Amino acid sequence: MATRKVRYKKLSVKTLLSVLREDQIDPTEYESLTNEAQIATGVEQAEENEYHLQAVLQSAGVAADKEIPVPPPQESTLNYDELYSRRFSKTSTYIRFSQTVEECIGCMYDMTEDDEAFLKSYNQKRAASAQLSEDDFEKIMDVFEDTSYIKAPFASIDQTIVPYQDMLQGLQDLDNAKVMPHAKDIYEYWKSRRQALNNQPLHPTLKFEKHQDSDEADPYVCFRRREVRQTRKTRARDVQSAEKLKRLRKELEEGRQLVLAAHQRELLKAEMLKADRAIFELRAQLKEHKIRLGIKTDDEDLINQKVSSPLFIFCHTQFDTDTSQPQKRKAPEAPAVQRPPPPTQLRIAARSDGRPTEADLSLLADRLAEKENELRADIEKKVQSHNEWNRNHLDLTRGPLSPVHEPRQDVSFRPAKTQYLMTPPTSASGASLEEPTPMELDKPQNPQPVFKFRGVARDEESRENPPAYRRRIGRLNRLWIDRRGMASPPREVSAEVLDRWKYDQSSDDEDDPPLYEVDPFDTNALRFRASIPLPLWMTNRAAVPNARAPLPPPQQPPQPQQPQQPVSQPQPQPQLPPPAQAAAAAAAG
Amino acid sequence: MGPNGEAEVGSDGPRQKGRATPDTITIGCIAQVTKDGQPRRAEILSIKETKSGRQFYCNFDNFNKRLDEWVPVSRIDFDQDVEWPNPDKDKQKDAKSKKSTTVSKKSQPSKKAQKKVGKREQSVASEGQTPHPWTEFVESQNKVDGEDKANASLEVGGTPGLGPDEMELDEDETPASAAKKEHTQSFSREQEIEKLRTSGSMTQNPAEISRIRNISKVEFGRYVLFPWYFSPYPEVFSQEDCIYICEFCLSYYGDLKSFTRHRMKCTLQHPPGNEIYRDDFVSFYEIDGRRQRTWCRNLCLLSKMFLDHKTLYYDVDPFLFYVMTTRDDRGSHLIGYFSKEKESADGYNVACILTLPQYQRKGYGRLLIQFSYELSKIEGKLSSPEKPLSDLGLLSYRQYWSELILDLLLGYSEREEKCTIETIATRLAMTTQDVEHTLQALKMQVYHKGEHKIVIPEKLMHQREKSRAKQKRVIDPDRIQWKPPVFTAASRTWGW
Repeated sequence: MATRKVRYKKLSVKTLLSVLREDQIDPTEYESLTNEAQIATGVEQAEENEYHLQAVLQSAGVAADKEIPVPPPQESTLNYDELYSRRFSKTSTYIRFSQTVEECIGCMYDMTEDDEAFLKSYNQKRAASAQLSEDDFEKIMDVFEDTSYIKAPFASIDQTIVPYQDMLQGLQDLDNAKVMPHAKDIYEYWKSRRQALNNQPLHPTLKFEKHQDSDEADPYVCFRRREVRQTRKTRARDVQSAEKLKRLRKELEEGRQLVLAAHQRELLKAEMLKADRAIFELRAQLKEHKIRLGIKTDDEDLINQKVSSPLFIFCHTQFDTDTSQPQKRKAPEAPAVQRPPPPTQLRIAARSDGRPTEADLSLLADRLAEKENELRADIEKKVQSHNEWNRNHLDLTRGPLSPVHEPRQDVSFRPAKTQYLMTPPTSASGASLEEPTPMELDKPQNPQPVFKFRGVARDEESRENPPAYRRRIGRLNRLWIDRRGMASPPREVSAEVLDRWKYDQSSDDEDDPPLYEVDPFDTNALRFRASIPLPLWMTNRAAVPNARAPLPPPQQPPQPQQPQQPVSQPQPQPQLPPPAQAAAAAAAG
Repeated sequence: MGPNGEAEVGSDGPRQKGRATPDTITIGCIAQVTKDGQPRRAEILSIKETKSGRQFYCNFDNFNKRLDEWVPVSRIDFDQDVEWPNPDKDKQKDAKSKKSTTVSKKSQPSKKAQKKVGKREQSVASEGQTPHPWTEFVESQNKVDGEDKANASLEVGGTPGLGPDEMELDEDETPASAAKKEHTQSFSREQEIEKLRTSGSMTQNPAEISRIRNISKVEFGRYVLFPWYFSPYPEVFSQEDCIYICEFCLSYYGDLKSFTRHRMKCTLQHPPGNEIYRDDFVSFYEIDGRRQRTWCRNLCLLSKMFLDHKTLYYDVDPFLFYVMTTRDDRGSHLIGYFSKEKESADGYNVACILTLPQYQRKGYGRLLIQFSYELSKIEGKLSSPEKPLSDLGLLSYRQYWSELILDLLLGYSEREEKCTIETIATRLAMTTQDVEHTLQALKMQVYHKGEHKIVIPEKLMHQREKSRAKQKRVIDPDRIQWKPPVFTAASRTWGW
């Protein structure tokens, strides 16, 4: 630049330049204007002056036929079609591929010409069936090379040759029974080859850095790691990441152990099932023998009976699955075994069938009886304890349908609203029914009582305390009918009451507690409820309404004929002094 | 050459000259050797005994190393004086270079700085520090020619300058051990390493083995290739007449049986990555150096045979490889590739770029270059190939650049619009430097009447018309299915 005659402005990349063709400018002028400055080429300076490059550069824009000579390639004489025989099918979409070379080239060891010669002579000595194929040879050699690389990474320096014993694991991992008989011989060959090569890998390998001084300038050493990595400061984030990695590894390891354990367990299960099956088959055999020999005991029943005893199910499923595929056997059996609620003891019973069959087979009938007894005893025990628990208590809950069943009503009873029953419930209608009659409370002239209870029969005894009824609306708009002046009949314990606990009991099986279908508005039921006696101590206490019937579900509409039913009965009409001693009756809400 | 270089050449001094015989000629001697029927000055880099007699590995004056070859005795002109290597040069150089390398080391402590060595400005600087005996010698030779002639006759009988180091280089020795001995004494280790790391080509040390092609012949797919440069394949391969490389997985074998066995097992039929471009003619695959380490290493080894300044010093992890293939019923055959840093601090969009020799001069290189710029366009970056370029690389890039710039400028000229260098750069995803250099190289940039102008020379327009007629294939950017890959800090550091 300094030598230039015309000193010109520096050219900025943002300067607008006019673009002219050569003919738009004076050609002679152009010639003198062209920049002769040396242009940086970007080629290594030592090579910039090379003859052929300069020749081409000089001719740039003059003639494009000058070329830099290079050693020319040739057509190969190898049989390409044989070497590259695989056909390539074109995909319609762009190929996406992430497998590595190692995953694509199969066995990493490729036998050499020496190996081939050895294998030929080796196989010559053997029968055709005992010969070693090239593939298997390579697999064995690969194991040796691989194991050696792992166990003796510095074999070429310390000259350790990995002993054959160490190779066994790798050979077994091949899972190829064919190779094992040859392995030892091949090992000897491998060893000799290694020794011949100064204990270096049989396949020529690249030279990687070994962190020796000689590495640095050795042009054969390639693909070094960048030092930047090593000198990098460890940041807190890296420590965290490392920790995370460690934890991840640990967790993965735990998971792996779990899977291994599960695998082990399943193996054991399979073992167990096999044993079970063997037992069953033996039993079946035994049975056959017994039949053949005519030994008649009641054991046979055990197998032939269609009793849905768990034991039988167990045997049965086994019997079924015998005919199906062995793989499927596991699936149907396991649930069958687990289905009966108390499976454990029964399974044990089934398992103990390894003992003499006669003793076993006779068990079923006994067992059922035994079971029955057991249950009975259990129930009785429960009754006992229940009674014990109820000692010194008056059990008002004995009758299952008794309205006093719900104790909380005792406490929470509040007469929210009291009114006299003027008319029967409004819903009462229907031609077939009698015309609703008002209660005698409101219309004393009406001779008929609204209700007729059995207890009313005793009205004569307690004239001064005649039964009276009161309708009121309790909580949740439930309709209550209170009664009074009813004498409680002595509680007699009848035989049918005595065994109620049987049905009452929520037994040890998981079934729903027995449900007795009772129409709450059935006349008998109503009558029964109304006649439920009160204990004396309660009747003596005044103004304590203690017997209430829980309301039937509200979706059931009140039945209009209920109040009328008692009416039809020719019963004396009780009088109605409003303040009343309590007596409970059920009514519709 | 900078003053630094001059001094070193001076220390090398005028070489001793004298007659030699096939038996006395040594490594490091410069003799007249016939090349393509013409006598050329050539340096003997190695000597070997073959059945047909002694052979000499010659590097020819101002010829690229790819033209180096083994020549028989008959091609060396022993009737002329040979120039003996100077025995004392090593010590002096060692002392000197050590100084300079400590400086250079200090200035390059970080990764970034190391990378920058490849950049233009710095490589000039390092030229000053790193002597290149061959070219320096040639230049210095021109100056001191007269004196030499005078001295020549005096030193006919003079002892050939046999340094102890050269004497030790025995043919039976493994090249590596020879090299070790060699460079401990002759060249500055640090310089060698620096050179190896940054450029991959070691031209400094005359006996350096990597100057000598180690593989003579490669069977690759349907072709036999003759490597141009040294490549660090396993050392034993240098003894093989021919090595075999699988066309698809690029695995290398010195043994035909092994290779045949491998071919029976290898299932790869295309580069192991995702296809990101496909037209009727070629496909491009993107391959992550970290994920496909083996394949990418193999690719680098292969390409090193044809790239002088490729360095295999470091591993392939930080690079992505964009591989161009052609399809037939056997698979997707590798044509060429370029590698690209996952994250380039210097805005490079190409690290190494190569078209395999069997596909060269068919326009594939242009496709590779175009593709690299199409990717840059998608990324929205102005970028440039990493330097140094090879001679062939320079020509390919110049050709590409000039054609595209020319097309663009013709449009401006027709519309009589003005343009800036920046707009050109943005349109083509090129750096403004590259645009400027191309304009200068094509002599289009002039300073006329106090204004910078661009002038399109007539002949360039004719040329372009011709090349346009020839040019058949271009990359169709619409067919690229690619998003710039994102690498998080963690993925770069840990590979997640």
